[in-house]
Amino acid sequence: MLRIEGLSTGYSARPVLSGVSINVEAGQFVAIVGPNGAGKTTLFKTISGILKPSAGTITFEGHDLLSTPPSRRPHLGIAHVPEGRQVFPSLTVMENLEMGAVTEAGRRDWKNNIERIFEWLPVLAERRAQFAGTLSGGQQQMLAIGRGLASSPKLLMLDEPSMGLAPTTADLIFDRLIEIRKQTKLTILLVEQRVAEALESADHGYVLEAGRVALEGDKQTLRADDRVRRAYLGM
Amino acid sequence: MSQFIESFLQAMTAGLLIGAVYGLMCVGLGLIFGVMRVINFAHGDFMMLGMYAAFYLFTLAGVQSVFGNTVGPFVAILLAGPILAVFGYAIHALLISRVSGTKTASLEGEGHYAQLILTLGIALILQNGGLIVFGSVLASIRTPLSSSAWELGPFFDISIFVNRARGIDAIVSFATMILLTLLITRSRIGKSLRAAADNPTAATYMGIDVDRAHRTAFAIGTGVTAIAGGLLATNYPFHPFVGLDYVIVMYAGVVLGGMGSIIGAFWGGMTIGLVQQMSTIVLPTQLQNAAIFVVFLLIIFFRPQGFFGRMVERT
Amino acid sequence: MSLQRPIVAIAAFAVIYAAVSLSITNSYYQLIMTLVLVWAIFGLSWNLLSGYTGLISFGHAAFFGIGAYTTALGQIYFDLSPWLSIPIAAMLGGVAGLLVGFPTFRLQGHYFALAMLAYPLAILYVFEWLGFQEMTLPIKRDNPIAYMQFSDPRVYTLLALVMLIGTILLTRTVERSRFGMALLAIKQNQAAAEAAGINTLAWKLRAISLSGAIAGAIGAFYAVVLLVVTPQSVFGMLVSAQALTVAMFGGVGTVWGPVIGSVILIPLAEILNAEAGTRFPGIQGVIFGLAIISVILLAPEGLFWKVRDIWRRRQLSQLSSEPRDVPATATVTQLPVSVRRDRAATPEDVILEVRNLSRSFGGLKAVQNVSFKLHRNEILGIIGPNGAGKTTLFNLLNGFLRPDTGEVLLEGQDVFARKPHELCEAGVARTFQIMRPFQRMSISDNVVVGAYVRAKTDAKARELAADAISRVGLSSIADRIAGELSTKELRLMELARALAGQPKILLLDETLAGLGHDEADEVVTVIQRLARDNITIAIIEHTMQAMVRLVDNFLVLDHGAVLLEGKPETVTCDTRVIEAYLGKKWVAHAAH
Repeated sequence: MLRIEGLSTGYSARPVLSGVSINVEAGQFVAIVGPNGAGKTTLFKTISGILKPSAGTITFEGHDLLSTPPSRRPHLGIAHVPEGRQVFPSLTVMENLEMGAVTEAGRRDWKNNIERIFEWLPVLAERRAQFAGTLSGGQQQMLAIGRGLASSPKLLMLDEPSMGLAPTTADLIFDRLIEIRKQTKLTILLVEQRVAEALESADHGYVLEAGRVALEGDKQTLRADDRVRRAYLGM
Repeated sequence: MSQFIESFLQAMTAGLLIGAVYGLMCVGLGLIFGVMRVINFAHGDFMMLGMYAAFYLFTLAGVQSVFGNTVGPFVAILLAGPILAVFGYAIHALLISRVSGTKTASLEGEGHYAQLILTLGIALILQNGGLIVFGSVLASIRTPLSSSAWELGPFFDISIFVNRARGIDAIVSFATMILLTLLITRSRIGKSLRAAADNPTAATYMGIDVDRAHRTAFAIGTGVTAIAGGLLATNYPFHPFVGLDYVIVMYAGVVLGGMGSIIGAFWGGMTIGLVQQMSTIVLPTQLQNAAIFVVFLLIIFFRPQGFFGRMVERT
Repeated sequence: MSLQRPIVAIAAFAVIYAAVSLSITNSYYQLIMTLVLVWAIFGLSWNLLSGYTGLISFGHAAFFGIGAYTTALGQIYFDLSPWLSIPIAAMLGGVAGLLVGFPTFRLQGHYFALAMLAYPLAILYVFEWLGFQEMTLPIKRDNPIAYMQFSDPRVYTLLALVMLIGTILLTRTVERSRFGMALLAIKQNQAAAEAAGINTLAWKLRAISLSGAIAGAIGAFYAVVLLVVTPQSVFGMLVSAQALTVAMFGGVGTVWGPVIGSVILIPLAEILNAEAGTRFPGIQGVIFGLAIISVILLAPEGLFWKVRDIWRRRQLSQLSSEPRDVPATATVTQLPVSVRRDRAATPEDVILEVRNLSRSFGGLKAVQNVSFKLHRNEILGIIGPNGAGKTTLFNLLNGFLRPDTGEVLLEGQDVFARKPHELCEAGVARTFQIMRPFQRMSISDNVVVGAYVRAKTDAKARELAADAISRVGLSSIADRIAGELSTKELRLMELARALAGQPKILLLDETLAGLGHDEADEVVTVIQRLARDNITIAIIEHTMQAMVRLVDNFLVLDHGAVLLEGKPETVTCDTRVIEAYLGKKWVAHAAH
């Protein structure tokens, strides 16, 4: 579904990503892990169009993403749940969800989607009239996920959903994600620092280090490899 | 004693009436400055253009002959709004967008420096260009309503006179305000605007074209202030430099009302109107505007977050 | 940099201008010659505040008008000669600057500009109410020269020329001294300037006071030249706008900018006004408006800089035959790669002690009860997963944030909640993740700003800067412009700037970010050398591979609290640390 080949991005002569190649098949749950500064968020921003790469290609269901303007990409079926939640603070929970549904698919499936979103994430139903800026971190994360789902996506991308959240809250989020995946067979691309949680539910994982793919494999392979620990801790 | 009370109440009434129009004026700037965080130094001059647009629609374009002197002015004013909205849209597309929105979102200060200077340049051109095109002769939109008044009372020897023209101005202001609020809060366009203003990055992730949203907000803000200007023009003569008189009023109202809040901007403008009119009880008329400046300075020193509106964290 | 070349330029300009002026007999054109100089001086005064600090003032007309009315009222009511009232106006302008600056500098960006706008307009309303509509200076037939009334208008031009030269020399002296450098540092990055020991409020007040004084003096002169003063003509918005426009059009932050702007725009506007003024009244304003718009869109820093940049680029492309990168890397003195420091030699005494430091933001506990000791000459690495509170800790240590509770003792002295520039004076220096150097200035000029906190004289500051530059290995390229440096060289320059203040403790914030493997090694070597030279270092860095070779100890933070402190070998294998980075379930799985 999503094919990234030889992607390189960078601000000047110092590349942040070099020659990254990642493959996400339909229905897969792919996790990208790596220490801080490895280039994970840059990768996401390049897929979403906020950043332009210097080399490489990104294809989504045959569409060349790089020639699609950023505000059009969601309409192709890519939902981006950004780093740090990025809710609309002065809009209510309901209005945030409505904003997620500005895509054609989102508008078409709104009635169905909103029911199921409230089912999976009941806290959103309870607080639908509350201003998003007053929600707790965990609630905002759920709202961001709900907002992503509201666009009726084919691919759901999540950028470090556990960041800034207490471990128990993060666990809750991951549980919800697994639940949603079971029921929808949605394709998910997850970027996470917390490797264990990320690989727990993933079919396939990539370890990014200093802008390159250092390792890849399924969760059994990666868990047994000490190189993962070394990528994070240096020795 | 009763004379003092009467003067007081009369001043307060005058303040409320003009405050309603100031409120609408501030709402226009509130959309641009308060919500989009774009500095528009030329907003008073857009208002001036609105006044002249209404004037020429009324006199030369035949609105007066079709609708007469009582309804005509208001028709012209309401027509001037969309015309100025288009003008605002064009200015944003050609000039303002180069120094705001997604282009400058990552710069320190969000490009405010460049916006200040650019809009100052636009202001100069509009003011002086206006002088060339419209001349320096004072203009006004005459309506017989401004020379008649409704009498409230008498209660205990006290009567309050509500000037008909100003009364209708206030009513039109409130009506426009209500329509605008409905648009912003209920419609999809309005919500997209608010989302784009709240968090442009996230809005792009959702598929909202942030630059277009900004352009629309700018256009609406310009149109709304133009209508307010036209309403003011029925009571006060104006000239190409009139924008300067009001730009501080507008900023004072928006800041007083609290940034990011459109309703707040309306009440902020209302407050400024009250301050202005009621200051005449103690100050000579010529110092009215100086009083507003002092209030403005006091606000930005002691309470820059304003009084009304929501205090919600911006991402 | 010697003063010779600019003095020659200034002298040449003066001579040419005087010659042109003397040859013009038409009194209207002569007036334009005078006015060009008046607006150039006014532009220079605006530049002194807004061009150098970046704080845009829309209200310089306040000072100008005060000056004009000093002359007018002085002469009409007190029979005061302009020879006296001009210096008095300068003083009044300076005082007004202080009065305005003190409260208004507390405001940020656009609020500052709006407030500055309000002052002259408010004064204008007051003056109109006071009845000072149009004031004409009385003609003194019996003693004209004592009242600066000359029959030959060329004298006014020459007087103005003298004033201009004086202003240029004054501005130039300021520009090259620590005054100017401090202002530029404030413009680049106020927070970093504070952290480098610059008392930003004090310098800003000095700038606005000097600026107001010059504006007042030239306003006073303006009244003498025109002989008529109205509130609108000296307090009005166009007056402020003109000062701003000539400076911005010609070039901000440089002495020649306002002069260039004035020489081009004023005659243009005045002549257009004279020719087309009756049919197009206000053509002046339109010209200025167009000038401002074109400048901000096409050459935001003004004509002077645009031309210079283009000229420099041409020069460089002619020299492009030599590969630039090779000499640069060769000059950074190489030491054998990453020698680990001798543990036994590390002294025991504690230079910084932090006890129970805490800081919350609303409900979020960013830093919780953090305690640790920094030993003299130690290199401490502060690590932890994202959001662990590392940068917040640095911000607390260098004064950007006020701690809620806790104690911070620097060499035994309590430095809790001190301001950034005070902490810098006490010996705490800091680098930043995002560098904002003076793009157009040399490494030496960029580094010297860091030395002001320690050096009493400018000469001493240059010495300290040169020393710092050699310690990081950049001496051979010390004259190169910052805009042409590589990331590695920029990072080393940042380091030098922090070193120039002779700190005891260096807080390094992601110094290795954006560097390739070899470059990171070079910088690591430099840092190790510094520690050996009696500086204590705390460093936040994500590139763990480099860190494990650099540091003596790690301090691991997680969710704002200290998780562990210890040697790299211990820390990187500790279960809790692995859990913090990789997740709880990792250890469980890996242990099979």
